[in-house]
Amino acid sequence: MEIKTLDKLPEKIIIPLRQHRGAVCEPLVKKGDRVLIGQKIGESKEYYSSAVHSSVCGEVIAVEESAHPDGNKAMSVVIQPEDSNESVPFTPCKDLKPEKLAEFIKESGIVEHYGVPTHTVLKPKGKKIDTVLINATSSEWIGGTFKTPKEYASQVMDALKLLMKAAGAKKGAIVLRDDDKESIDAFEGIEVDKKKLRVAPLVGSRKVGYYYREQNSDIVVLSQKRIYGKRILNFFTYNVTGRKVKIGCDPTDVGVAVCGIKSAKALYDAVNEGKPFFDTVVSVEGVSDKMEYISVKIGTPFKDVIDHYGHTGDIGKIIANGVRSGVAQYTDQVPVTKGTTRISLQKPEEVIRDESMECIHCARCVDVCPVELIPARLAVMADQGRFDECRQIHVENCIECGDCAAVCPSKIYILQLIRYAKDAIEMAYSDMPAKESSNLKLGCGCGGE
Amino acid sequence: MTYTLSAPPHKKTRLDFKTLNISKIIALLPLCLAAIYFFGIPALGIIIASVVAAVATEFGIQTITKKKVTIADGHAALVGLMLALLIPTDAPLWIPVVGGFFAIAVGKHVFGGVGSYIFNPVLVSWVFIRSAWSAYMTPASIPHVGQFSDLLLENGAGLMVGVSPILLIGGLYLIYKRYVDWRVPVAFFATMVALPQIMLFISGVTALIHEGVLNPLMYMSQLFTFLDMSPELPYAMIGATFFGILFIATDTPTSPVTKKGRIVYGIVCGVLVFIYGYFSNYVDGVFYGIFLANCVGSYIEINTMPASFGTMSLPEKIYRNIMDKIPSSLKFEVIENE
Repeated sequence: MEIKTLDKLPEKIIIPLRQHRGAVCEPLVKKGDRVLIGQKIGESKEYYSSAVHSSVCGEVIAVEESAHPDGNKAMSVVIQPEDSNESVPFTPCKDLKPEKLAEFIKESGIVEHYGVPTHTVLKPKGKKIDTVLINATSSEWIGGTFKTPKEYASQVMDALKLLMKAAGAKKGAIVLRDDDKESIDAFEGIEVDKKKLRVAPLVGSRKVGYYYREQNSDIVVLSQKRIYGKRILNFFTYNVTGRKVKIGCDPTDVGVAVCGIKSAKALYDAVNEGKPFFDTVVSVEGVSDKMEYISVKIGTPFKDVIDHYGHTGDIGKIIANGVRSGVAQYTDQVPVTKGTTRISLQKPEEVIRDESMECIHCARCVDVCPVELIPARLAVMADQGRFDECRQIHVENCIECGDCAAVCPSKIYILQLIRYAKDAIEMAYSDMPAKESSNLKLGCGCGGE
Repeated sequence: MTYTLSAPPHKKTRLDFKTLNISKIIALLPLCLAAIYFFGIPALGIIIASVVAAVATEFGIQTITKKKVTIADGHAALVGLMLALLIPTDAPLWIPVVGGFFAIAVGKHVFGGVGSYIFNPVLVSWVFIRSAWSAYMTPASIPHVGQFSDLLLENGAGLMVGVSPILLIGGLYLIYKRYVDWRVPVAFFATMVALPQIMLFISGVTALIHEGVLNPLMYMSQLFTFLDMSPELPYAMIGATFFGILFIATDTPTSPVTKKGRIVYGIVCGVLVFIYGYFSNYVDGVFYGIFLANCVGSYIEINTMPASFGTMSLPEKIYRNIMDKIPSSLKFEVIENE
């Protein structure tokens, strides 16, 4: 797979100070300042935050509210780039102590693509991580400085070791997609601690623990079928390790840290080159079947990426992060953030305009649901505001993949109704003290620990 | 440049309710043509009367109640067509008119329209006109079974639906295209095949008991009766049964949505139809049986709700309990996770 680099300088670079959920960074620069590549332009004292760096060299022309690909506006630093490669000095720091590594990750601005700073995944407060997983099932090739696939595999393996070191975890695994031949070939036969590993498929009840024993190694490479969605972490953890995450908790509660392949790669670069996280690879798919992987700087407006993709003609819809559960954009001046993985374009005639009607109980949604829910029933319950009944049929398990809404012949907005129910339940939980919720049985199943 | 904003998913299936209905109508067309060929003009009259009455009723009700008129989605026409196939061809023309009206008005709209009715409108109407005017609604003849050729052209078919079971093959195509789920028809048909054989076995064993046979081998030999064909078995292949299996039982609003529930529903349909058919006749039995199965459909649904993913089912729990007690040195099982 070929990765192109966007080398044309955009007119302006918009770097949002909110790259993940949680605390928004405070700007460290003001209008008129000159910034260099890799210079820190935003940070926050909060634990649940990560630093933001400039991706270009240029002049700050504004610090203002600007469009963010999640659909809202966010405080952003707008930079007019100049044609220069001047950067702050990058110093590799290969022999960091494990305790310092988490702080280093925060300083390097490494965040997960699902919107959480990586150091909060690896070193959660009051929890112990024993297994680190790299989820390579959705975004497989991440670009960077490698020549052959084998080299890519060994880099990812090194990144996994770094993540394990940061988390203090003994075990680790890389999870590939089973129809992604290129990656599987790259990892087949990779040597870790002088042991040859082979890519092991996750089938039946064979989970990662079985392969640790079978391959007699603390690091294994697995493959499984593709899963996607906004909230796949708990399902993914169960699929790979067999550990059931209680409702209201996240994988760190059972000692598992799930990292994306982009953050793993970013950590590798940060440690070996001293470079903070300021560029990423996005895939652009559009009107034809052509899919391109473009390496862009964080903050590049979508417009420049689309121009580089080579699309001309009318665009009906721009979607960030996939057609299934992504967000449609109202302008092409939204920047690529650390959480952006894909930009999809649709022609005006491809844009769907459907009217939803009553559910005909055809059960297609039940057949496609990967987590064994009854989406049709959940949608009805959510529509009527019967959230406690939604809980009884496990609405929290929903990974928000959007398959149910995509196959629905009645065109019901099932995904939105389920999200509505989940949000309502979450809000009820944050408002309500755990002891007094006797009739609803709200709250985290493991006591919040 | 302006861009469309809408909620995800941004790509959806093209399949919609209208396509489902139209394809079901198309799947029934060969049977209608054969029926018109064999029964003549009266059959055509009944089909037209029933369809027109159903569509007109839907139009009238939706106009009066000031709702959006949905006759274009083909559901009323499908109901009317399916009802017409269940009416004997020598019935007067007002029977299908009343039937079509009753199916849409009472069967569909009284319960709240598409997706809300608990009984299949076709069956509601059929039960009504069958009991109210049974003289007109009794078919002139019932199927004679026994020959294989009956699958092609049924001897003594009294209803249009029984003209030629093989022409209902369109229903199989609907299953192949996933327009219709496979679980209900497969479970239904398997039950219809299995039950007569089981009855044959039981009757063989009881006969032996009456004779006072003590030799266990004699009882064992009764197992071979499963290879014989029960005299009841051909009734699982008549047109009315095929129609019930492929078109009526698979009507989505009246069958459960859970995966297990659909299989249970199919089995319940099969059992009820077999009981009706065994003691009275299969043509009526199919429709009464599915009508009763509709009653328990929602009960089946709420009792087969799937557990949260990763929860062990009862057999798995029992297996796990037993396996955990056996010391690991005795086990052949290699799969262990932690």
